[in-house]
Amino acid sequence: MTFDSRLDALARKNPVRTQGMNRRQFLAAAAAAATAACSPGEDKAREIALLTWDAYADPRLLNLWRQQTGGSIRYEIHVSDPTSVNRLRAGETAVWDFVNLNNPWARKQLWPAGLIRDLPRERFEPLYAEMFEKFAPPYHWAMSEDGEHLLGVVQRFETFDFVVNSDVISPALAKDEGWDIFNNPDFKDRYGILAYEDWNVMDICMGAGIHPFRDKSEDDYAAFERTARQWIQNAKLITTDFAQLNLAIINGEIDAYFTGGTYSISSARLEGISNLYAVTPNSGPADGKGGINWIELNSAVANPNPADETLDFLEWITKPEPAYIIANGNGNLQPVSQMSQPEVLSRFTPEQLDALQWDEFQERIANAVEYDIVPGYDRLYDIYSAAIRERS
Amino acid sequence: MAQSRTRLLAVLLPLSLLLLAGFVVPIVIVAFYSFIPPRSFEFSSDLTLQNYASAIGDGYWRPLLWSAIGALLTTIICLLLAWPTAKALDRFAGRWAQIATLLIALPIFISESVRLIGLSLFLMPGGGILAGSLDALFGVSIGTILNTHLAALLGLVYVHFPFVLFPLLLGFSLVPREQIEAGRDLGAGRWQLFREIELPLTAPGAAVGALFCFVLSLGANAEMTILGGQVVTVITRAIEQRFSYAQDWPLGAALTMLVIAVTAIVVFPVLKRIDMERLLKR
Repeated sequence: MTFDSRLDALARKNPVRTQGMNRRQFLAAAAAAATAACSPGEDKAREIALLTWDAYADPRLLNLWRQQTGGSIRYEIHVSDPTSVNRLRAGETAVWDFVNLNNPWARKQLWPAGLIRDLPRERFEPLYAEMFEKFAPPYHWAMSEDGEHLLGVVQRFETFDFVVNSDVISPALAKDEGWDIFNNPDFKDRYGILAYEDWNVMDICMGAGIHPFRDKSEDDYAAFERTARQWIQNAKLITTDFAQLNLAIINGEIDAYFTGGTYSISSARLEGISNLYAVTPNSGPADGKGGINWIELNSAVANPNPADETLDFLEWITKPEPAYIIANGNGNLQPVSQMSQPEVLSRFTPEQLDALQWDEFQERIANAVEYDIVPGYDRLYDIYSAAIRERS
Repeated sequence: MAQSRTRLLAVLLPLSLLLLAGFVVPIVIVAFYSFIPPRSFEFSSDLTLQNYASAIGDGYWRPLLWSAIGALLTTIICLLLAWPTAKALDRFAGRWAQIATLLIALPIFISESVRLIGLSLFLMPGGGILAGSLDALFGVSIGTILNTHLAALLGLVYVHFPFVLFPLLLGFSLVPREQIEAGRDLGAGRWQLFREIELPLTAPGAAVGALFCFVLSLGANAEMTILGGQVVTVITRAIEQRFSYAQDWPLGAALTMLVIAVTAIVVFPVLKRIDMERLLKR
């Protein structure tokens, strides 16, 4: 008799009539339980480990996965994209199954370094057909440089530029002025910097009139240095905590901050603080655009002990219910690529869409270039970090 | 004799292995990384001093100096605050002293970041706890020290005060009451009692507390980030930048080795002067 059928038989017995198990039955059930616990178990899903941004660690998502598949998930939330890349480089591929990072990392760092594995295209490319049109397969950022390998599944995406207090600075003016707002010396001590430093470098390029994703001339580096010194020196505060910057706006300490966007303010807007306003400039030096659009790519880590469940999870998160949870994971609202489907979009309340500034979403995306690796980043970052060190 | 030595070695073996794996090996790896070419990740035999040249020549002295100044000021302020506190707690040992000690010790069990965020909420202008309360209760409007050097220093003192106080309390417990009373009977004034009896006897405790405080403050970053608005960059932050956004582990490793060297230069001479045996046997 198998363990399951023995349990079933025990459950069907009337405990009042049979007065429970006898010793032999008990020992047989215990032995069956021990055998089941020790054996690999064909239908027991392996726990998968996520190295992720917080939306994928939402308890509702983890519970839903458990309910629907019986599998369990453990996770750790990123400190930053590069820190997690470091961890994988340092040998943690054996620890993690899933990683989600901004688009260039997978294509230009993780895949060439052998830190992620490719996905079966016949299984995952149809998922791209159910997303917004810009993700039509083969989607550039989801593919390896040679165009042969699919590196992940696109889900959350948005622009990330700057935030203003709309009671003080009109959003229309901010969009027109764009990055020049921070070039204005009168704005000294009226803004903060969210120290997502790779983003800061790109923003300073924009402010200096340089396309961040094109090769730079010596004049470009000089312009970048001038702008970096001015912006960093004139900032009221610099922090890695966007809640601190939102509070500084609410308390009137500052009127704006970069880098910022719906990622940093949507949860506060949902609480009713609607004067926190995400701005993507109407124009700028990047092919006429001033905004930057990040796209998160969910990938399977090149774990030496790969789990099939990782691929199942990557497919499962694109379904309407998980996608909706991810879009407002841990209270942090962000658009997902599946919002092109009415079945997903209809799940959002008007308040949630307002918190996302959804009416301007397409405009923001249209005014932004896609996040990319910055040519000359090392030199630009050294200039940026030197300006940070000189701040006093 | 040989048997007791074997027994001692057996007792010390687990700790030695732990220190080897958790302390010596990582430092050796970091030291090795500091000699490989900048912005590379692979161990190689192509060793260079270029990272040390960058660490010294590229303006990193400034964050190191800010960290050292912050650590020194914090240590001095904590010693000045902890001295009378420890003396009072030692002299009036009893129920109230125990409660006071507990109140000082309790925050250690709460995450440092949480405490600092709490302090930033207290100091915040407008709707902050201090400014908002003064405005609501007395109609007084005040500014804020948040996002200044002073706020960061306040945070450093707030976080590291217990690390000075408790070793100093231990130091005060080494001062025999009779000796103070005898000094007083012989006509010694307060200053003389302090200089001749209290200071020499509490010095080991004060030195241990000061060392804890200095070393921890030298490596502190959260105070400058959460309360100081990163008005200056401290060395820990500069190291973090090299390891993360710059993807430049070798320079990060060279900076780390420099900080370890500075710490060693401060710690070892002080440790040599402390009679740990006497302090511990108490």
